[in-house]
Amino acid sequence: MLTIKNLHATIDEKEILNGINLTVKAGEVHAIMGPNGSGKSTLAAALAGREEYVVTKGSVDFMGKNLLEMDPEIRAREGVFLAFQYPVEIPGVSTINFMKSAINQIRTHRGIPTLDAVAFLKLMKEKMKLVEIDQSLLNRSLNEGFSGGEKKRNEIFQMAMLEPTLAILDETDSGLDIDALRVVARGVNTLRSKDNAIIIVTHYQRLLEYIVPDFVHVLYQGRIVKSGTKDLALELEEKGYDWIKGQLTPA
Amino acid sequence: MNATIEKTTLLNTLEKVFALRNPSGNPEGRQALNYLLAKGLPSVKTEEYRFIAITRLLESVMPEVPTLKPGGKISPGQLIPELACNRIVFVNGVYSPEQTEILDSSLTLSEDAPSGAKQTDDPFNLMNRAFCESLIHIHCPAKQEMKHPVAVVYYFDSTEFIFANPRWKFTVGDSGKASLVEYTVAEDGVSFFNNKHTQISAGRQAEIECTTIQRGAAQEIQVNNAFIDLADNSQYQGYTFTSRGRMIRNNLTMAIDGEGINAHLYGLYYLNGQTVADNHTVVDHRKPRSYSNEVYKGILDGNSRGVFNGKIFVRPDAQKTNAFQTNRNLLLSETATIHTKPQLEIWADDVKCSHGCTTGQLDEEALFYLQSRGLSRDAAKGMLLHAYAAETFESMRNETIKHFVTNLVSEQLHQNG
Repeated sequence: MLTIKNLHATIDEKEILNGINLTVKAGEVHAIMGPNGSGKSTLAAALAGREEYVVTKGSVDFMGKNLLEMDPEIRAREGVFLAFQYPVEIPGVSTINFMKSAINQIRTHRGIPTLDAVAFLKLMKEKMKLVEIDQSLLNRSLNEGFSGGEKKRNEIFQMAMLEPTLAILDETDSGLDIDALRVVARGVNTLRSKDNAIIIVTHYQRLLEYIVPDFVHVLYQGRIVKSGTKDLALELEEKGYDWIKGQLTPA
Repeated sequence: MNATIEKTTLLNTLEKVFALRNPSGNPEGRQALNYLLAKGLPSVKTEEYRFIAITRLLESVMPEVPTLKPGGKISPGQLIPELACNRIVFVNGVYSPEQTEILDSSLTLSEDAPSGAKQTDDPFNLMNRAFCESLIHIHCPAKQEMKHPVAVVYYFDSTEFIFANPRWKFTVGDSGKASLVEYTVAEDGVSFFNNKHTQISAGRQAEIECTTIQRGAAQEIQVNNAFIDLADNSQYQGYTFTSRGRMIRNNLTMAIDGEGINAHLYGLYYLNGQTVADNHTVVDHRKPRSYSNEVYKGILDGNSRGVFNGKIFVRPDAQKTNAFQTNRNLLLSETATIHTKPQLEIWADDVKCSHGCTTGQLDEEALFYLQSRGLSRDAAKGMLLHAYAAETFESMRNETIKHFVTNLVSEQLHQNG
């Protein structure tokens, strides 16, 4: 589904990604872990098409197409979804407001009929239940005055609505209490299927107790320095990132 | 000194026109003209007009002797759709009883000699006083609630340049309730200078909503001297929407001349191309315990230019005043400019006043967020701009007018997209 080869990316001419190689197949969940500043969020943003991150080398193939050539909205329409680490506040624009346009622009892109108001509402109600989000929240200006948990639940709600082929969760667990974490995890697990894939970017092993990954990768200094199964996350939790750093320094 | 330079051209023209039109031999007109001739027209060195070279522009477009032509009949398709209203029409600046239509029987309308104008020494105020033909007085009696809004339509239909000086006064008696909308309709390619003078006055407990729509014609030059007088416990909501024209200047002066008044002034200038829009507003608190809130927002694209100058006066007697002002601007192009200046003068000591102005670009983070959900960049932009602008018209009570303005905003968005 996704093949990243030797990806280099810079921001303000500073190299952040330093040759990433990663293959994600349909049905898989990959966790990307690593210390602060290792490039995790940059990887997520670069995949979603954020302009500030300039890809200087390498390639990203998504479902047989060159992802890097696409504008952010085309990536979304092709099935890529990014749950933001810091969801933005947009005064005057409600979630319902833009989700309706978003869904229909995506559907038009895929050549399927758009949803009318009734069908949209029905879909929305169904997904609201899944992430235990209240409609009043979705009617309000996006993220304005939302708690940390509400913001993240809203991200997962949008993901549920758009049913992406590849979902990238950028530190969705940060700022969540244990109940919110469970709700978010349940939402994600429900969406898991043999046809889609999920990349979870996280600092901690905690979220991975709820969303069990097939693979765990450790990102350090813009490169994947270690890959393994879910046991690697446990080992990291126990030994800390210094353990990885220590392994690398002699080389 | 500058005045003498200007005198050679435009003032000469004005003198000539005055002699030809000789409006009703009205001494007030002659007096105003003499004062104007002595004072001169504003140059860019004139403090109040420093950002717009309006005299130069008028000189370049105004012919030696502008016509005073009767125009044709406005067609229904040119009006705000589906708005049942008391329609008052000025054709080429002159009141047209034939095209005027009154629905509410309690509304009175009269045409009088142009006296009793608000006298300021603004040169365009003087000009209107010199050239105005008649005063249209629209009156909503005390305790009456107008069923339909008053629509003042300035219709321009001429192959030659029109120099128009309409004047009207809208008075709402004690506890009366009425709304007014004014806008320009121009036939293709008409070039004109609409130098308006308007007065609105609200009696005690009266409620007025007034909407000014300025998107008449690409070649329009407009100066709008508008005066609003509010008495005790009256409520006023004003909306000024500007999106088209060569140069539009609003001098809006609101006198809070009573206690317990609640006044809201909203403005939206959404400009493109070469349009220049200049909003000078004065909110003058003369009596205690009143509230005013002014929110003006700008969206500037192309080579457009915006000016906002907002004065708030709180006179020594106006204790316990609450007066607020906000001016926000979005610049969508490298070549658009905005000059913004809040000006608070407070002589009372027990008041709450604040002002804020900001100028910026569209939030790239928000744009990316919406794009990452599948919205095209243009759709995302439109959504953000609409959300930004909505504050300036969402409180309008008349749904038909609100719908019309909302569509104008969308139309403008479309042009930019």
